[in-house]
Amino acid sequence: MKIKSGYLIREVAGTYLVVAVGKRAKEFGGMINLNETAATLWKELEKGATEEELTARLLEEYEVDEKTAKDNVKDFIKKLSDANLLTGVENK
Amino acid sequence: MPKCKIADVVFDLEPEYAYFNERLTEFLYVGEETPEYSVFSDDVSIEKERKKYSLPENLPAPLIEDLFFERKVSDYILEKKNGTLFHGSAIEYGGGAYVFTARSGTGKSTHAGLWRELLGDRVKMINDDKPIVRIIDGKPVIYGTPWKGKHGLGGNIKAPVKAICRLVQAKENSIREVSVKEFLPTFFVQCYHVEDRKRKENFLEFLDGLLSGVKLFELKCDISKAAAELSFTAMTGDKL
Repeated sequence: MKIKSGYLIREVAGTYLVVAVGKRAKEFGGMINLNETAATLWKELEKGATEEELTARLLEEYEVDEKTAKDNVKDFIKKLSDANLLTGVENK
Repeated sequence: MPKCKIADVVFDLEPEYAYFNERLTEFLYVGEETPEYSVFSDDVSIEKERKKYSLPENLPAPLIEDLFFERKVSDYILEKKNGTLFHGSAIEYGGGAYVFTARSGTGKSTHAGLWRELLGDRVKMINDDKPIVRIIDGKPVIYGTPWKGKHGLGGNIKAPVKAICRLVQAKENSIREVSVKEFLPTFFVQCYHVEDRKRKENFLEFLDGLLSGVKLFELKCDISKAAAELSFTAMTGDKL
């Protein structure tokens, strides 16, 4: 799965901001605030990643156990997918 | 109209109507620098502006022209000058700028007015409605603009930004420092920015520069001198 096109992420004074550009900005004119972990996942999802790859990325980057990493990834994907920000989400 | 200088940028702005022409007089520039950017308006560009932004049919042409120049100047600053125009009231004290921001109708101008009552000629209005902020050598600097709000307060002055305070109406006065994360959502919508990728990237870079360099506050307040005393001492660190 992948983040839809037309979004930008940038660190702004210690926090991460996502905004929409171009046509996408007509659907979404606001901003999303992400913490560092979420920003890491977002950047992976910009390139396209599976749930397993995302979990692996968190385990590699942060000192967390596998269950926490998995739960984090699941939560984040659910939020993104509820907000209609993802394409190619597998139905389970 | 000859050259003018807004936010330390030399423009050549050529309005059709006296309304904006008069607003520009304070910003006239007689130095040697050649204008970086020229804009002129006429009835064709004004009608275009009316259509493009669905402005009311009965909005007089001079007011549309004013909005047109505001947009053109803001676009240029956003594109080339690491800054933007935003909604706020900025006041100079002790060589630094203190800025109030809030949703329309919350009372930024009223609160800045209370500072003037409290501090008299120790303060100067930079701009009461739509100042421009630019990041210069890594530091945010705020500038007066011709768009001074309904009371026409402000001037052709600039100062480094020291603190920005969001105002929220409340029955009891209180002030606290807030994090960037808390401050961002409401401030974001007060800033001029546009949808194209390049200028959106610029805007985020600008936000990073601004919010990294200043103290951020939230003031819950009524309309009273006590509220102004509270924000003054917290934001400046000075005693009255």
